[in-house]
Amino acid sequence: MIEVQDIRAGYGDGPDILGGISMHAHAREIVTILGPNGCGKSTLLKTVAGFVTPRAGTVRIDGQHAEAVPIHEKVRHHGVGYVPQTDNVFRTMSVAENLLMGARDLDRQTREERLDAVMAQYPSLANKRRRKASALSGGERQILSLARALMAGPRILLLDEPSAGLSPAMMHDVFDAIARIRDEQDMCILMVEQNAFEGLSISDRAYVLNLGKVALTAQAQALLNDPAMERLYLGGAPAE
Amino acid sequence: MIQFLIDTIIRALDLALIAVALSGVYSLIKFPNVALVQYAVVGAFVGMLLQQAGLPLVLALPVSAIFVGLVAVIFNVLLFERLLTEGSAIALIGSLALSMILSAVFLLAFGPAAYRFDLAVAPAMRVLGARITVHQLSTLAITVAALGGFAAILFFTRLGREMRATATNKVLASASGIDTRRVINATVFLSGVLAALGGMTLAMRGSVSIDLGTQMLLPVFAAAILGGLGNALGAIAGALVISAAETFVTNTNFGVLTGTDFLFLPASYAQTASFALLVGFLLLRPSGLFTSEVSRV
Repeated sequence: MIEVQDIRAGYGDGPDILGGISMHAHAREIVTILGPNGCGKSTLLKTVAGFVTPRAGTVRIDGQHAEAVPIHEKVRHHGVGYVPQTDNVFRTMSVAENLLMGARDLDRQTREERLDAVMAQYPSLANKRRRKASALSGGERQILSLARALMAGPRILLLDEPSAGLSPAMMHDVFDAIARIRDEQDMCILMVEQNAFEGLSISDRAYVLNLGKVALTAQAQALLNDPAMERLYLGGAPAE
Repeated sequence: MIQFLIDTIIRALDLALIAVALSGVYSLIKFPNVALVQYAVVGAFVGMLLQQAGLPLVLALPVSAIFVGLVAVIFNVLLFERLLTEGSAIALIGSLALSMILSAVFLLAFGPAAYRFDLAVAPAMRVLGARITVHQLSTLAITVAALGGFAAILFFTRLGREMRATATNKVLASASGIDTRRVINATVFLSGVLAALGGMTLAMRGSVSIDLGTQMLLPVFAAAILGGLGNALGAIAGALVISAAETFVTNTNFGVLTGTDFLFLPASYAQTASFALLVGFLLLRPSGLFTSEVSRV
């Protein structure tokens, strides 16, 4: 579904942050991008999403060139959903309004059906559908942001550090929700994650970046058991 | 008292359209576009020229407003979009430069003289003992209609929802499928329309000259900041507060303070009231009367 080939990207006149990265992700899998701070994880996700236009290389979605397609076009026409790392809800809008923002192009009936389905899937949101998003907890906001992205019925979900700022319990809930989305909706999920062990525990494959290049790629389980990974990139042993 | 209220409201109308335009654009692109006051002057001059060319005033107003809206979009695409990539401060300086260039163009094209719309002189009417002119009533009708239309777009249309979403969170708006560049240009167009109408209503009750924009700059900014810069509808409240202060300063007999029968301050002191109020608010309530941006609208 997503094929990235030799992309180089950066910001403004600055140096390349991504120095020729290739990767791919398919339906029904979670692919996680890992690596130390500043290695280019978020830049890679933003380039795939369309916030950053690559200086070289290609991004294909379902075989079609999409490297110059901006995010709003990808959301509307390429079945892409994107969840930013922070500031990921419309704070002054209610929960229901946030969800409806994700389904603006659908007809009224489909929109209402999707809203009902999402509310059924996430009861914590249903109980607070009229509440302002700013009044939600960090975990609830992350779930709301995921649900908003799902409202348009995407086939590809791009998640930028979904566990950022969450407590361990909330993180568990969010990762559980992400895994269910893959399993129940056959979704292709590309996720940048700082909490490597938690991220890998729900992932199928992972790419480890270093200095803007792919340093390592393997099945998630293999990486979890790789002592070199633990020492170099994961910053220690997993919590018991 | 009634006269004070009428004078305050009429002065607020002078400021409100341009202040709302300023705040509306600020909420989306996060820099205060100084050139908006000159767009108001462009609107006044173009409206006047269209009337002189034989177009009825009722048509000259909207045609000029649409023209200025398009001019605002052109400047946004050619100038401000590029400057904003370097930061808000650079864009602000760019808008100041554009403002000066437009002022120079006006001087070249029209000279320093003041011009008037071709309007019949009508005697003032008496309302509850206060005087009000037909042109003031026309200003009231045009401003209320324009602001009502803007509010209707903001609250009841798809574009308005997209404007509010973009003002709240641009990245998230894009991630929700909103073409934020199109939304920004639509808002810039509307701001140009409002500014032009503001310039024309001012000129209809007085005159238009190259100084009009400069004269409006401070009170318009003061109104927008008082209303909570970025809160388009808060700018109306800001305009009312500034106007009340200006009217108080220029219409009040301060003779009692000096032991004389009469002491009225010159009209030029009106801007001092704007300045004093602005400084006071910046010290005590820097976010303005209303705390947030159009995100709240």
